[in-house]
Amino acid sequence: MTLLSVERVSKIFTRGDEEIFALRDLSVQIDAGEFVAITGASGSGKSTLLYILGLLDRPTLGRYSLHEDPTEHLNDDARAKLRNTFMGFVFQSFHLLPRASALRNVMMPMVYAASHGNAISEIEQRRRAQEALRVVGLSDRQDHLPNQLSGGQRQRVAIARALVNSPRVLFADEPTGNLDSKSGREVLAIFEALNAQGTTVVMVTHDPSIAERARRRLTLGDGTLIGDSRAV
Amino acid sequence: MVHLSGIAVQSRETVRLSLESLLARKLRTALTVLGMVIGVGAVVLLVSVGQGAKNYVSKEFESLGANLIVVQPGKSDKKTHMGPPVGAAQRKMTSADVAAIEKKALNLEAVSGLILGTVSVRHAESISNITVFGTNEQFPSILTIVIGRGEYFSREEDEYGRRVVVLGSNVVEELFGDEDPIGRSVKLNESEYKIIGVLAPMGDKLGLNFDELGFIPTQAALKLFNEDKLFGIRAKASSRVGIDDAVAEITEILKERRDGEEDFTVITQVSMMESLNTILSMLTYVLGAIAAISMLVGGIGIMNIMWVSVVERTQEIGIRRAVGARRRDILWQFLAEAAGLALLSGGVGVGGSVVITYILHYVFPSFDMRAPLWIVVPAFCLALVVGVVFGVVPAWRASRVETLEALRFE
Repeated sequence: MTLLSVERVSKIFTRGDEEIFALRDLSVQIDAGEFVAITGASGSGKSTLLYILGLLDRPTLGRYSLHEDPTEHLNDDARAKLRNTFMGFVFQSFHLLPRASALRNVMMPMVYAASHGNAISEIEQRRRAQEALRVVGLSDRQDHLPNQLSGGQRQRVAIARALVNSPRVLFADEPTGNLDSKSGREVLAIFEALNAQGTTVVMVTHDPSIAERARRRLTLGDGTLIGDSRAV
Repeated sequence: MVHLSGIAVQSRETVRLSLESLLARKLRTALTVLGMVIGVGAVVLLVSVGQGAKNYVSKEFESLGANLIVVQPGKSDKKTHMGPPVGAAQRKMTSADVAAIEKKALNLEAVSGLILGTVSVRHAESISNITVFGTNEQFPSILTIVIGRGEYFSREEDEYGRRVVVLGSNVVEELFGDEDPIGRSVKLNESEYKIIGVLAPMGDKLGLNFDELGFIPTQAALKLFNEDKLFGIRAKASSRVGIDDAVAEITEILKERRDGEEDFTVITQVSMMESLNTILSMLTYVLGAIAAISMLVGGIGIMNIMWVSVVERTQEIGIRRAVGARRRDILWQFLAEAAGLALLSGGVGVGGSVVITYILHYVFPSFDMRAPLWIVVPAFCLALVVGVVFGVVPAWRASRVETLEALRFE
């Protein structure tokens, strides 16, 4: 079943009089349950594609559908709701709130669930956050502030935050980019485990050895799709 | 129900976030709040001082004798509560007027003529200059004068113009020291007077120090000052409700004696107090309004720091938006923070200034400037409103931040 569908999408930035195509007439479909790596050189448009898929950005032209429902008419609140309930995000530089404990960081998406008509009691939030931290192996670090954690631990907190609302898709932007190789492997292992349980994973990386771990690899160049290969 | 509990969960989170953020930067919070605290405090303090002045004036008037009626010769064309210009009289006011009022008026408890002048008072080698009031025997009850030793002069002594004097406590102390002055003689200018009474220490009443005065019978005073007319007439209505009737009676009696001409002015203590109160109220409002401007400055301080806070936390806004916060969730978060600052300023400002007014009242018991509730509540609310209003623009700005740019913001 097609989960994410991009049809003839272009993203155009203007710099002065110049028009720059970050994405040019790109089409791609991703099915539920896939583990996709998006690779390409710097400036190839891979992050732009990820952010459009993650509803953090809008395409200039073309259509992006979720579950075959077009997204272009969705207003800001509806997009926020989808980000909250349907998707999880992991960023290269972790993006944790520096003054909140690991547990509080993981609880944050559940706080905003109330904005979308799905209030969760604080006790339940706490329970689910602890469970998510257990999944990423950080049960003993829940009261630590981000600056008391190693890079690998921070990224695992971020993953716990991304999966705490049980999303259908996990988007990751260079999730191992700021990690040593051991921590990077641990993060990938978590992604693989989540994918094995049915979560769709879409990951941007410029590192071929990381991309190899994905079962499908999309390669971008100059804003177009130049390769789409699947592991056998 | 689900929706309600959702609001509860969220408002608790909003409050928690704003508190955390304010507590995380204690010094900055304190400094931000300071401007507003001074503004709110100034409003409460200045208004309290004005109110204290009003209380003081009322109390002084009351202590001068409730139900006091003042009759002065002369009539000003303009309506006034402060009496006619001195010396504007057409016709003299005399002891016969006092006698007529005393005889005919039904609503009066006491009435007395009043003349006054400055004399030198001498005993042996001691000499000093004092103001002397010429009155009849009813005067003490009109101005609630308390006799400490001896007695006030009698009706006979007044009518015959006996040379007897009642002195204020300071005058006696200056002339006689610890000696008993009753029955002794003093010289007022060149005439010899016998001391028959001394006032109990009374202090200042509306700027008139009773301890520095002397009182002699009206007829004696007319001779002493070589006068044939009174300075004015003072009377006391028998009750507060009867005061308007008393004024009407006095006016009628005096007009009759003047062929219907009203060349005098009758004013009551109440009307004098009211006009003074009007002036003091105006002053209070003006002071309060000026102080309110400083609250505006405090509000700008809050806006400034909220603006900084929004820029500093751009990335946080991006993270929150990425995990599903709506624009209005972000708006509320920052608005709650501004409200928190305003609440803190209002609380500290009002609390501090109220404490100050109570301390001042404790130190100066005669000046009651304890902050009245009618300014405390509005000042607090105004602080809250100003803080929130000035927080709206930065909070709105925060909610308009583009998620992707915010995430990339370093």
